[in-house]
Amino acid sequence: MPTVILIDVSLSMTRPVSLDGSEEFQRKNLAVHGLNMLFEHMASNYRLEFTSLMAFSSLWELLVPFTRDYNALQEALGNLEDYDKTCVESALNGVSNVVQQEWGSACPCQVVLVTDGSLGIGKGSLRQSLQSLKHRGDDKKFPLPFPFPTKLFIMSVANAEELQMTDSMDNLEELLRLSGGDGQIFTVEGPLCMKSVQAMFGRLIDHAYSPFHAVLHCGNLSSDVQVFPRPEPIVMDEEVEPMPRSVNIDLEIVGFIEIADISSPPVISRHLVLPINVNKEVDEVGTGTTDELEEEPSASQMAGKSPNFCVLLHGSLKVEGMVALVQLGPEWYGMLYSQADSKKKSNLMMSLFEPGPEPLPWLGKITHLGPISEAAENPYGEDDSKSPFPLQPPVKRSYAQNVTVWIKASGLQTDVQKILRNARKLPDKTQTFYKELNRLRKAALAFGFWELLKGVADLLERECTLLPDSAHPDAAFQLSHAAQQLKLASTGDSQYAAFDHNIAPMHTDFSS
Amino acid sequence: MKMFSVSHKTVFVVDHCPYMAESSRQQVECDVLTKSRAQGVIPLAPVSKSLWTCAVECSMEYCRILYDVYPLHKLINYIVSDSEFHILNSWRHEDQSTHELMSALAAVGPPNPREDPECCSILHGLVAAVESLCKITELQHERRTSLMDTAERVANRGRIICLTNTKSDTHVRMLEDCIQETILEQNKLAAGSDRLMAIQQCDLVLVHIHPQGEDTLVSDRPKKEISPLLTSEVHSVRAGRHLSTKLNILVQQHFDLASTTITNIPMKPTLNVCDQEEQHANTSANYDVELLHHRDAHLEFFKSGDLHMAGSSTRENGLKETITLKWCTPRTNSIELHYCTGAYRISPTDVNSRPSSCLTNFLLNGRSVLLEQPRKSGSKVISHMLSSHGGEIFLHVLNSNRSTLEDPPSISEGCGGRVTDYRITDFGEFMRENRLTPVSESSHDPSGKLPVERAKAQLERHTRYWPMIISQTTIFNMQAVVPLANLIVKETLSEEDLLTCQKTVYNLVDMERKNDPLPISTVGSRGKGPKRDEQYRIMWNELETLVKTHAGATNRHQQVLDCIVACRSKPPEEEERKKRGRKREEREDKTEKNGTKETDDKSWQESERLKGLLDKEEQEPEVIKDSPDSPEPANKKPRLCTEEVQPAERAKGPVSLLTMWSNRITVANSRKHQEFVGRVSSVNNKFELYQQLKDENGMDVHENGKASR
Repeated sequence: MPTVILIDVSLSMTRPVSLDGSEEFQRKNLAVHGLNMLFEHMASNYRLEFTSLMAFSSLWELLVPFTRDYNALQEALGNLEDYDKTCVESALNGVSNVVQQEWGSACPCQVVLVTDGSLGIGKGSLRQSLQSLKHRGDDKKFPLPFPFPTKLFIMSVANAEELQMTDSMDNLEELLRLSGGDGQIFTVEGPLCMKSVQAMFGRLIDHAYSPFHAVLHCGNLSSDVQVFPRPEPIVMDEEVEPMPRSVNIDLEIVGFIEIADISSPPVISRHLVLPINVNKEVDEVGTGTTDELEEEPSASQMAGKSPNFCVLLHGSLKVEGMVALVQLGPEWYGMLYSQADSKKKSNLMMSLFEPGPEPLPWLGKITHLGPISEAAENPYGEDDSKSPFPLQPPVKRSYAQNVTVWIKASGLQTDVQKILRNARKLPDKTQTFYKELNRLRKAALAFGFWELLKGVADLLERECTLLPDSAHPDAAFQLSHAAQQLKLASTGDSQYAAFDHNIAPMHTDFSS
Repeated sequence: MKMFSVSHKTVFVVDHCPYMAESSRQQVECDVLTKSRAQGVIPLAPVSKSLWTCAVECSMEYCRILYDVYPLHKLINYIVSDSEFHILNSWRHEDQSTHELMSALAAVGPPNPREDPECCSILHGLVAAVESLCKITELQHERRTSLMDTAERVANRGRIICLTNTKSDTHVRMLEDCIQETILEQNKLAAGSDRLMAIQQCDLVLVHIHPQGEDTLVSDRPKKEISPLLTSEVHSVRAGRHLSTKLNILVQQHFDLASTTITNIPMKPTLNVCDQEEQHANTSANYDVELLHHRDAHLEFFKSGDLHMAGSSTRENGLKETITLKWCTPRTNSIELHYCTGAYRISPTDVNSRPSSCLTNFLLNGRSVLLEQPRKSGSKVISHMLSSHGGEIFLHVLNSNRSTLEDPPSISEGCGGRVTDYRITDFGEFMRENRLTPVSESSHDPSGKLPVERAKAQLERHTRYWPMIISQTTIFNMQAVVPLANLIVKETLSEEDLLTCQKTVYNLVDMERKNDPLPISTVGSRGKGPKRDEQYRIMWNELETLVKTHAGATNRHQQVLDCIVACRSKPPEEEERKKRGRKREEREDKTEKNGTKETDDKSWQESERLKGLLDKEEQEPEVIKDSPDSPEPANKKPRLCTEEVQPAERAKGPVSLLTMWSNRITVANSRKHQEFVGRVSSVNNKFELYQQLKDENGMDVHENGKASR
């Protein structure tokens, strides 16, 4: 989930913070300090996250486009300049553009808005933006909610009391609500100082940027892994099940399925599964100090050399063209597979299915998938030539049956012509003739279209009179028999008009 | 869409009063004469459908689309109303199919024009519809039972679609009032019943059907709220084509559907699975097919406002929009795993038209088609895929945006990435054995475990001892061990399995006597690696470790272990001495070489690895000890010591019954107490004291490692 850092560089951010100490800080310095801390954390624990940095005042500027280069981000933070007043709306428009250009409108995104809570005055202020919300045309819509799913984190370099003195807090809350409600407003606790700002960013890190660690199990084989990006809790049906579901920290492999059998299933999200060395991670939790940098290579070298289950699993999944079905929680499953990128680098990837007992209709209920050893004979065949998948639905869909639809005149004409065509080739086409005749009869009865039955009966009688001399005598018998049966059905007489009754060919071969 | 939204339950109420027998005045020419036969033949008079026929076929089309797109949980109850009401099906799942409904409709037949219009009314049906909405469905029942104390979360909402011919707007209002009253009445009744639920929301969709060319007395009215429980809308439509268009729009609105037109479908001979006798089969034009599906398949277009860019077009009636996607060659193959963000069932709008059936048959034969989104810039973006799974066709939405997971660190750069001798092929075999298969819900397992739990249990059994790298194992590199290794992981062993296992063990004994080489990894050691007898010791240890993890399962598993313990040969004293002598030489040899090549850290690494290997082997019995499932390791310490000095009898190859029996007794006894080190490792009841002094110079690195434990 990419992150956009949106930092307020209006003049109000340069307000000095009164401190007991000797040095004087601006709010901007505090904000930069907090963001540096966030970047350092991400560089060591969340380094696959794409982050971009935008500064805004009455205008906005993309300082660093989406990158994983946290040095570049930190460098840009060091070169911030001061501008005029705060205008949140235009900045949010900027975010919307930047994100959609890069990731489209389906990719969930995190937006971290860093501001001091003075949200501008007059035209362009957040207050004014929110007040005019209802009187806008389609061309000047407020940028929230964004088209893409958003988590909005508002980092206010001010404490809650300060925000509540004005209507800033209300406005920020309204902003969060407009964005879809997913996110949080963080305020400084206690007096404004380095420490309290650090604590506030610490809370953001815990809330949104702590790596997701899990254990991948396959029977007794297991591996500690980081799942990136973090799988977010989801709500399937807020009415029936309002509590969000989260992914377990124990990921249990249930069994294996061929790629052709799972056949490009729909997934709600994709995640890298990276094996980790737990001991090393413990070291890393302390914010990356410089001493560690020297130790790290040897530690990771050692980790590289001890066998890891993820690597084994990945290798075999790739070679065999299979996926592993993995249980993520109660009635929630996903799949593990090998994913190669354009540069031939490949990786273990996990995709999450929609929660529920039967995420893929062609596999059936997951709880009813069992080991092949239980089957009387191998459902894949001795030479892997067969497969028990896909499962067939109990009822065929309309396009897989020969349904009759006469909504367009052409549908009806085609069906009548088919009967006539076969009628002319009697007795060779006796079977097809009666099959088509009975299909028409059934539909006409269901639709209460008795007039058609009479009409077709007339047509058959006419065909009978037009038969050439050379025609087989059977043809005439069958035609008049069929016409007579249709006429009987068109009376609605229950004896002849039963839906399940079929007109049988007239028995003309008396030799046997 | 919520599980229990208004669209969970739909009641069709279709008017069966005498008036509906009137002609729609839309004529169908069904006698299309071919030119060659036209002379002298009087064509048949065109037929025309009655209002009833129009209503029935359009409502059936609505049902067809619904059942195609939502085969589950979107239910229809069909009611016909004349002098009384006729309920044609129930909410039950087995009643939900067009075939069931057609059969019931045939039994009802067309309205009787001679029936007394005074006794006939649509009201009978509408009242029955409200009653029906109160009836609980299977899904509602199931959910209520499973939610227990939060059962009130299961809502009861529904929709009534009434196809009728009303007299006037006043008449419509009268019908609405009547429904409102019935809902209130029925809700009171429902409060006191388990099988009934009060209606929380009901949407009435009233479609007034009138014949062609007749002015309507009823006006259209958009949805309005009659009461908090009831909303109502009125559509006044001419019978025939207009009615079917209307119901097609309604089914899309009611069930969040959208339309996609697949364009540029090539008419190739391979595609041409349609009726061969069609006269125009040799036209080679590309054709279009319109499909309906859940509108989320277009989510990306809606959000990005690309709707028009993506080639959407408004239809002649100004109400229906479709998005055009282009058929794309080359096609995709089934072993490719696409990143797909959604898959939605489809239903062709014109199901039995020639192009539709060609496309659907093509897909049903198991082929997939990628679809391309036309863009202004001319760039090619593949956004969707059509594919069938088990006789159902799905529109897959493919991700066409940049991935946030691009350029990840390769797996070879992470933990375990430098190891090169993973048992990839063996694990592949393991995965094949642990593939899944659907187990019918009716087949009940005596253990009471669900199939998926049994699959997990099998994985657990198969991985009790599973070394991940080739150099960590000997037995799994040996063809001779395969039969035993495959069988021992089974939950139960047959008598035949047991015999096979025992045969495998005897075969190994035989190999040892013939001094056959073992595929022991020589990666870790220079030169020839461990000596032959050492190799066999390692092999037997490993085999024992494997079998021990399963010994607790059944008696027969234990018997396999017993067989191994009994059969594995231990080198006699003399051999042992000889071996030690050899080792001493070897060690000297090694130190000498190491002396010359001290900087060669590769050799250091290798010996480290070998040491690790042996250490690991030592640890294994301990690991097993921790597992509650397996018995205490029989005689771990003694075993480690006995390798040094062994009773002479055991070395003589084939074992006597007495030895086997006494072995078993010894094993049993040793479980009860910790055996004296001296007694266990004694030779002919004699034990050599101060061995370590003698060994001090005579042991290589590994042995030292062991002795120190």
